[in-house]
Amino acid sequence: MISRRGLFTAAAGVGATAVLASCGRLSGDQAAAAPAPAAGPIFFGVSAPLSGASAEYGKIWRTGFDLALDEINGAGGVNGRKIELLWEDTQSDQKQSVPVAQKFAGDSRVLAELGDFASPASMAASPVYEKAHLVQFGFTNSHPDFTKGGEYMWSTSTTQQDHAPELAELAKSLGTKQAVYYINTDWGKTTWKLYEEHAKKSGFEIVHSEAVQADGSDFRPSLINGRDKGADVLVFIAYYQAAALLTQQAKNVGLGQAKIALPSSAYSPQYIALGGEATEGAQLIVRFHPGDPRPQVREFVDKYQKRYGKQPDDFGAGAYDALKILAWAVEHSDGTREGVRKALLEGKDIPSLLYGPFAFREDRRVTTPKSTRLVVKGGAFTLAGA
Amino acid sequence: MLDTALAGLVNGSSYALLALGLSLIFGVANVINFAHASVFAVGAMSGWWFSVDLDWPLWTVLLGVVAVTGLLGLVINLVAVTPLAKAPPIAALLSTFAVSVVVDNGAQLVFGPETRRFPALLATDNLGLGGLRFGTLDVTILVVAIGLMLLLGWFLRATRYGRAIRAVAQDRDAAAQMGIPLARVQNLAFVVASVLGGVAGVLGGMYLNNISPTVGSTVGMSAFAAATLGGLGSLPGAVAGGLLLGVVEAFGVSWWGGNARTLITFAVLLLVLWVRPSGLFGKRTPLAAEPMTGTFFGAARTVRLKPWQVAVAAVAAYVVPAVALDDYTVQIGVQVVVYAILALSLTLVSGQAGQISLGQAAPLAIGAYTSALLTTATGMDFWLSLPVAGVVAAVLSVVLVSPSWRLRGHYVSIATLATGLLVAAAAVNFDWLTNGPSGVSAIPPPSLFGAEVSAPLAVYFLDLTILLVVLLLVVRLRRSTLGRIWSAVREDEVAARSSGIAAADYKSLAFGIGGFVAGIGGALFAQQYGYIDPSVFGISVSLLALTIVVLGGLNSPLGAVVGAIVLVGLPEALRMLEETRMLTYGLLLLAVVLFRPQGLMGKVAR
Repeated sequence: MISRRGLFTAAAGVGATAVLASCGRLSGDQAAAAPAPAAGPIFFGVSAPLSGASAEYGKIWRTGFDLALDEINGAGGVNGRKIELLWEDTQSDQKQSVPVAQKFAGDSRVLAELGDFASPASMAASPVYEKAHLVQFGFTNSHPDFTKGGEYMWSTSTTQQDHAPELAELAKSLGTKQAVYYINTDWGKTTWKLYEEHAKKSGFEIVHSEAVQADGSDFRPSLINGRDKGADVLVFIAYYQAAALLTQQAKNVGLGQAKIALPSSAYSPQYIALGGEATEGAQLIVRFHPGDPRPQVREFVDKYQKRYGKQPDDFGAGAYDALKILAWAVEHSDGTREGVRKALLEGKDIPSLLYGPFAFREDRRVTTPKSTRLVVKGGAFTLAGA
Repeated sequence: MLDTALAGLVNGSSYALLALGLSLIFGVANVINFAHASVFAVGAMSGWWFSVDLDWPLWTVLLGVVAVTGLLGLVINLVAVTPLAKAPPIAALLSTFAVSVVVDNGAQLVFGPETRRFPALLATDNLGLGGLRFGTLDVTILVVAIGLMLLLGWFLRATRYGRAIRAVAQDRDAAAQMGIPLARVQNLAFVVASVLGGVAGVLGGMYLNNISPTVGSTVGMSAFAAATLGGLGSLPGAVAGGLLLGVVEAFGVSWWGGNARTLITFAVLLLVLWVRPSGLFGKRTPLAAEPMTGTFFGAARTVRLKPWQVAVAAVAAYVVPAVALDDYTVQIGVQVVVYAILALSLTLVSGQAGQISLGQAAPLAIGAYTSALLTTATGMDFWLSLPVAGVVAAVLSVVLVSPSWRLRGHYVSIATLATGLLVAAAAVNFDWLTNGPSGVSAIPPPSLFGAEVSAPLAVYFLDLTILLVVLLLVVRLRRSTLGRIWSAVREDEVAARSSGIAAADYKSLAFGIGGFVAGIGGALFAQQYGYIDPSVFGISVSLLALTIVVLGGLNSPLGAVVGAIVLVGLPEALRMLEETRMLTYGLLLLAVVLFRPQGLMGKVAR
C-alpha cells in the first residue's frame, strides 16, 4: 500500500504537470479566442434576473428586446444576418453573473453582452468581459464606477451624478422641508450621497433622511419620523415597488398633504397601479416618457402598446434602445468583438430612442439631455405644467 | 409614539399568526417548517387573485384562502414531512426548505413575478383617536388576529382533536400508546397552521398594500424569530413573541432607521436566548440528546474510499479541467471547490460535533471581508491575509455562538441562523468598516511565483490545492483523540460530561476550527470575485452549505465534496430551463432528501 504522503506528493506532481501543460490558459488573456463565425446569426448574451426577487425586471427587458428583435430581423437583420439572444438567468446575483460571463466569454459566437440588471452583479463580472475583449453593455447600471471597470464597459443609463441634483431641484420646487428616504442598496446610497451634496451646496432644508430596506414592506415607523419633523416634501430614492409602498404608507400615517418627488427609476405604470390614489400629484423626473412627441418615440410607444397592451416604462424603453444600439454597432463593425467596441467608440451619430443621435463620452456613458418632469394626474403620467 | 406602537402591533400580528403556525407544527412534528413563509406568500397571492381577478368580497376571499392554504399545508406534510418521520429532524428541515423553493418559484410562474397592489378592501385612515390616525383595516387585522388566536386556544383546549394535538406535542410515544392517530393529528396540525399562515398572508397583504410571490421571505424570518423568542412549541409564547417583536422592530426602526430592521430583529432574539435559553414562555427541558441529528449516525455509515481511489480522484481533479473543460465549466469548478471548503467546515461542526449550524455564512462572510479589507485598504499580501481571515473568523465564530452553549436542540440551530443573519445585517449597517451595501470592490487577485492568479484555471488550481489540504485536515481531525471526544459529545452529551469532558469547551473548539476553515473559504471567495457585498452572504448560502453536507452524508468529508459538486453544479446544468430552473432545482432537491436522507456518500447500516 502506498503511503498517504506518497500519494499526496504524486498528486502534487501531477498537478504541477497539469499546470505546466495548461500554461496558456493560466495567464488569463483570452483575447486570442477563436474568431467569431462570419456567417449565420449574430449572438448577443443577456445576463439577467429571470427568477428571484428581481425577476420582474428581466421580464420587462424581454418585452423591449423582443420588440427590437422583431424590427431588426423583420427588416432582414444586420448585414443580412439575423440577431439572436442567448438568455442566462443570474437572479442578478454576482455568484451567478460571473460564471455566466465566463460562458459568454468562451462562446466565440457572442459578439456583445447586455446586462446585468444590478450594478454589483455587473461589476463582479466586468473583469471577465474585459479580459475577453467583449463589450458589456450594462444599460441599467447607474453606478458611477461601472464603466470605470475597463474599456469594454459601456452604459446608456443615466448616472447618479446627473440625476441626483435634478431630483433635489425638483424637490426644492415642491416645498421647503424635505424628508428623503433612500433604499439601502449601493444605488440608493450613492444617489443619496450626491443628492445630499447638492442640497447642502444649494442650501435646501432636509429635515429628515433615512435609509430603508429595499425589500422592506412596512415603512410606517420610518415615515412617522418624517411626519413628526414637519416634512412637506417626501423624496423616495427607490424603484417603483418600494416607491409605491412608501407613497401609500405615507398617506396612511397622515402625510397625505406632503408633495412627493421621485427619480426616474420609480417611473413605471406599475408605480400608479401599485400605489393607487395615493400617487396622485406625485412628481417625477424622467429621461423617457411615452408622451414625447418625437416621431421615433411615437412609433415605439404605439408598437409597444399594441403588442403588450400597456405603455412602456423606463426599463422597457431602455432595453429596446440598448439592443438597437448594439445592433447598430455590429452593423458598423468588422463583425468582431473588438469591432463592436470600436464602433461604439468612434460612432458620432448613434441613433437612439432615448437620446436621439448621440456619441458616447470618454467615460463610455451618455450625456443625458435635460430630463422631463412628469406629474401623476387622474391616474396617468402627464407632463408637469401641461 | 402611540402610532409607532400601533404600527408595530399590526405588523406584529402577522408575525404572531405565522409564529403560531410554526410553533404548532414544531410541537406536533418536531420540525422547523421552512416552507411556512411560502404559505404566507401563497395566502397573499391567492387572496389577491380571488379579490382582484374574481372580484370576490372579503369573507369569500378569506374562505378561499383558507381552502387553498389548508390544502397546501396538508400536501407539505404528506410530501415532505411524514415520509421522513423516521429520519432525523434535520432531513425534514431540509425537505421543507426544498418545498419552499418549489412553492416560491411555482407561485412566481403561476402568478408572474410582478409586484402587485393588494386591494385594501377596508378603509385605512378613517378613524382617529386623540391625534392618532388609523383605519378600520388596522382594527380588523388586530381583531381577526386576536380572534383567531383565541379560537385556536379554545380549539386546543375544548375539542377532542385539539386535545389530541396537545397530547402529541407533549409526548408523541405516550400519545400513540393511548390510541391517538398520530398521522391524522399531524395532518390536522399542518392544516390548521397553514390556514393561520394563509390568513396572515391576506391580512398582511392588505396592510402592506403591495405583494409579490417572494413576499414571504422577510416576514418569514421575523416569524422564526418571534416563535423562538416566545419559546418553540409554546402558543401563548408565539403570540407574545410576535407582538413584542413587531413593537420592538417599530421602535427600533423609528430610532435607528429602516435599514437596521434585520439587525434589531436578530439581536433581540439572541439577547433573549442568552437570558432565557428556552425563550420567554418555553419550558426549560432537562438535558436531552441533540434531537437534530438524533439517531442519524447509528443508521448511516460513510462510504470509505481506498487510498488509490482518492489519489486517482485528486489527480483527475487537477488534470481533467486542464485538458478537457472550458473556462466556463472551470469557473463552476471554482465555485464547487469554495463551497466544498465551506461544507467541510460544517462537516466538523455539524457532522463531527453534532451542532447543526444554519448560519455558516457568518464565518464565510467574516473571512471574506477580513481578507478583502486587508488587501484593499492596507495593501496586505493575499497570502498573509489568508490565515488572518481564518483566525478572525474562528475567534468571532466562537464569540458569537458562545451564548448558545446553554441552548439545546433546535434552539442551537435557530441561534446560529440568527448569527448568520446578524453578521450579514452588520455588514450592511457598519458602513465605516464594510462600506455598507456598496461592498468592497477591486480586491486584487493573489500572486504566486510573480504571476497573477486570476484566470479561471489558475484560481481553480489554487483553490483545489487548499481544498485538498483542508480535506486532509478534516480527515485527520476525525481520527484524532479530539475527533473521538467530539463524537462522544455528539452521541451522548450527558455521558460525555459524566466522563469529565468539558462539552461546551469542545463545542467551542469545533466552531472555532470550523470557523477557521470557513474563513479561509471566505478569503478565497473574495479574491475569486474581486468584489463582495453583504447580499452575497445571505441565508441561502448557509442553507446551501448545510444541504451540501447533509446530501453528501453529514459525517463524511468526501461527501461534502460530492455534495458540492451536485448542488452547485445542478443549477448550472439546469440553465437551459430559464424561468423554471429554480423550480426544477427545488423539486430535485426534495427528491434527493426524500430518497436518500442518509446522504449520497452514506450507507444504511444493515
